Amino acid sequence: MRPLRKVLIANRGEIALRIVRACRELGIASVAVYSDADAQAPHVREADEAVHIGPAPAAESYLRGDHLIAVAKQLGADAIHPGYGFLSEREWFARAVCDAGLVWVGPPAEAIAAMGSKTAARTLAISAGTPVVPGTTEPLRDAAEAAEVAARFGYPVLLKAAAGGGGKGMRIVRGAGEIAGALAAAKRESQNAFGDDAVYVEKYIEGPRHIEIQVLADAYGNCVALGERECSIQRRHQKMIEEAPSTAVTAELRARMGAAAVAAARAAGYVNAGTCEFLLDRTGEFYFLEMNTRIQVEHPVTELVMGLDLVQWQLRIASGEQLPFTESPVPRGWAIECRITSEDPANGFLPSTGRIAHLHVPSGPGVRWDGGIEAGSVVGLSYDPMLAKLIVFDRTREAAIRRMERALRELVIDGVETSREFHLRVMADPEFRRGEISIQWLEAKLPELLARKAPPEAVRAAAIAAALLADRDRRARNGGGPRGDGGGASGGGTAPRAPVPAESSWARAARFDGLRSP
Amino acid sequence: MRYLVDVDGERVEVRLDGDGVAVGGEHVRAHLADVEGTTVRLVTIGGVQHRVVVRRGDARGRYALWIDGWRFEVEALDERARAIQDLAAATAQSAGPLPVTAPMPGLIVRVAVAVGDRVRSGQGVVVMEAMKMENELRAPADGVVRAVRAEAGTAVEKGTVLVEFEPVGLDP
Repeated sequence: MRPLRKVLIANRGEIALRIVRACRELGIASVAVYSDADAQAPHVREADEAVHIGPAPAAESYLRGDHLIAVAKQLGADAIHPGYGFLSEREWFARAVCDAGLVWVGPPAEAIAAMGSKTAARTLAISAGTPVVPGTTEPLRDAAEAAEVAARFGYPVLLKAAAGGGGKGMRIVRGAGEIAGALAAAKRESQNAFGDDAVYVEKYIEGPRHIEIQVLADAYGNCVALGERECSIQRRHQKMIEEAPSTAVTAELRARMGAAAVAAARAAGYVNAGTCEFLLDRTGEFYFLEMNTRIQVEHPVTELVMGLDLVQWQLRIASGEQLPFTESPVPRGWAIECRITSEDPANGFLPSTGRIAHLHVPSGPGVRWDGGIEAGSVVGLSYDPMLAKLIVFDRTREAAIRRMERALRELVIDGVETSREFHLRVMADPEFRRGEISIQWLEAKLPELLARKAPPEAVRAAAIAAALLADRDRRARNGGGPRGDGGGASGGGTAPRAPVPAESSWARAARFDGLRSP
Repeated sequence: MRYLVDVDGERVEVRLDGDGVAVGGEHVRAHLADVEGTTVRLVTIGGVQHRVVVRRGDARGRYALWIDGWRFEVEALDERARAIQDLAAATAQSAGPLPVTAPMPGLIVRVAVAVGDRVRSGQGVVVMEAMKMENELRAPADGVVRAVRAEAGTAVEKGTVLVEFEPVGLDP
């Protein structure tokens, strides 16, 4: 045991604030770092100390590992927490932190290296007995070999050009009768597109879900799986909505996936919090993809259903504490997370920038807001567009979805376009509500979701609101009252809710008439 | 006062009188109030409250509204202004090149068209990078590329004209 006293947080935004909070709850002092763009950010103010580390571009601030280590040493910090992104999965940084005599709040550099490349991780997983997507590593010689391999993997299989990309040279083959023709076509296409006709075969996973298993390992050989997260709602490989548990995972499957994740983590000599990502097909078969050797954005859904604080556990494990349990806990209730990003769903998810003029954060039972913004925050283009995570918890999935809808309706972010309306459309979608999702679901569904028409009552309310606003603005231009909103039908009183007629309806009617007939 | 409101592809007539509004022949009490210290407005229609966030648009009567979990782009004009606006719009129909402009500051990654190219509405013409994401900008209408002002590898400000078009009807 070597209790941590002061931790430097090599990150920004919501995760930096999340770590500050965990530190404070554990009685550990925190040091925030910030670039020029973040001088006013909430994570800077909430930390015990804050250090300016450079200009806005991450390469000149949050990614300067040597400088961050020097700052930590100078301020007498004894550990560095990297959060996610930035330097969190850089083996050299983990090593440099330890070499400088500091504690790295994360897995050993060797474990990061072992899981660092997809091929290395795949080899490691195979050696640990964790299933991976079956595939050949050598190009196919001929149709006979293709048929033999496909029979071994089981149909459907995917033929893939070695030099491939953009779907060229790719064929899904559903039975032995199709394979010779498909191979010839794939080779031809590949030769034409890339000047190389090498084709591989791998098992084709139908309607796959992205299911990941959270693991927590201490330095004494205890490694525990903490259930799954369902992360299939993705756009361009970016997760948008996550939940725990998953509708596709039974207790029996959870136990098997957990055991597979723990085996892979052990094989890598893993310590601290980490996540094994899997594809889960419709038949309940699962395949290891990779391991994320850091805390994940979506960690709160696991925290809520497991009743654990993962960031606190990261710090406690780093200070040498032993896990008090060796059995996987059973998830209770349902948690959903929506990533609130400064992207405009109505406009192809283009990033939106600006100053947050007003922020109203939802609260009440079962609602959690992990955010890095507040009123006055400036949203620029230097960093990731994620503003905050809205997380809800309730007894059942159905109740959690209703709670999320309620919380999204409470949320007000004025100043930038956000993904709020997109999340509301997903929550209301019947397929999503039934849990009928896969990693292709959102991309296929998006045009329909975004084209969804507002109900007539909402259109009518918008029309009335617009007319009242236009009328108030018109009178403001014409000097029709204090701030142009002197009351009455379209007037805005200074006191909320209470209609304050500042003049008689007779006078108003007369004035309207006067304006209408110039 | 009579307002004509374009919302969600519909034109809704809203008549304002002493203490409310008439929409589609139905009269309800309606009231607009500020919520002190915020940019939120409270619109009460027939006793039911709606929280509204408003962003003013680029012209008189244009607003983006967030209400009841939906976002609307609306244009609310009184009768006279509406008539003038419709007339102006009709005249502008025949007008010249429609530009594709940068919707945000960023870096031009790729320009997919050249002068003289025929493009279809919705076809990708420029790829921009901002916030580490590539975003495709699309042609606003069928047309012929008149000018390409974007160059790959250069940074542009929001609103910069990148490609200009001559809208024409293309053969199917």
